[in-house]
Amino acid sequence: MSNLVYLMSSLPSLTFGEVPPISILEFNQDAKNQLSTSQFNNLELIDIQGVSGETSKVGVKSIVAMLKGVQDDICEIRKARTQDRMPKLERLSAKEIQGTPLERERKIMQYQWEELESIEVGKTFTLIEVMVYKLKLQILSRLYSFNTEKGAQVLASVVNPSKKEED
Amino acid sequence: MAGIKIKYTKTERARQKKVLKVSERMLPLFEAMEKSLMATVNTISERIEKIREQIERNRKIATPWVAVMSDSWVDMNEFISVNEIITRPVDVAGVRVKQFESVDFKLIPIRDDAPLWLDDAISLMQEQLQLLAEIECLKEQIYLLEEELLDVRARIKLFENRLIPNAKIAIRKIGQKLQDDERLTIATAKVVKTSKLQEVSV
Repeated sequence: MSNLVYLMSSLPSLTFGEVPPISILEFNQDAKNQLSTSQFNNLELIDIQGVSGETSKVGVKSIVAMLKGVQDDICEIRKARTQDRMPKLERLSAKEIQGTPLERERKIMQYQWEELESIEVGKTFTLIEVMVYKLKLQILSRLYSFNTEKGAQVLASVVNPSKKEED
Repeated sequence: MAGIKIKYTKTERARQKKVLKVSERMLPLFEAMEKSLMATVNTISERIEKIREQIERNRKIATPWVAVMSDSWVDMNEFISVNEIITRPVDVAGVRVKQFESVDFKLIPIRDDAPLWLDDAISLMQEQLQLLAEIECLKEQIYLLEEELLDVRARIKLFENRLIPNAKIAIRKIGQKLQDDERLTIATAKVVKTSKLQEVSV
């Protein structure tokens, strides 16, 4: 418990849309130093990119349900597109899947962020709070990786690879 | 014409007349071919310009969301590449060229739970790659047509500057020479006839 208190107290606060104050690597290092091996192993299984069989074993049902729900909705949107029909969504709303691809990703991440905030309510200094912190940090890191210049470079490198080689 | 030896014979004159006739018949054909090739090259250039505008339009439409392509979760280079550009041979203004048909893409299947923007990005990339492949085919067509155009222009110059003037000069010169020869023969015959008459009268 005291380790969790120390860890959570030493981590900087996170705000959606702002530059991540620490890197995932730094967070993992701090967590590894402060948590027990089993706690750290459970923490490592949680990842914003999706739910694997291992993640669901960790037992944080609310987090797993949220991640799985969003994942299922993304699958459903993709299916609906190929079948040219309206998607039947369980978690995401129509508002979150509108706009440009960038706006959509932001809205989905914002939804996840808000859900995580509601999950951590009343879970102060628990492993759930640490897990939520990790997921929120992953969201910020991903959000921060969206860069117009770099994105244009990626597009150019695929569309015109010869130009990239010349550069 | 200078330096060319002309045979001053009726056969040669007939040959030169034939050359002139054929050249004068062929010249307009080559001139028409030149015009047709030039028009085709211009049409293809305009098409290239239109495709470039389309590429630029697509790029501008994607600008507001292109940032998402630098997503740390995804490496775009893995998902799409060109396998082969499919073309078919066609005759354009009498020249055999390759016409763009489609692009065969190598697409790595997207996982169902992968970020949604991937579908939009791949669709955009496919369109841009197709347009660029079409430009490449059209550029190749222009290259081949310009090669043919150079050849046709060389032929036109050959007819205009050498074959037709040379044949005309040769026909004129042979005509003059044959006329001179005829006059000389007649004059000689007259002289012979006069001297024979004088001998008889003496």
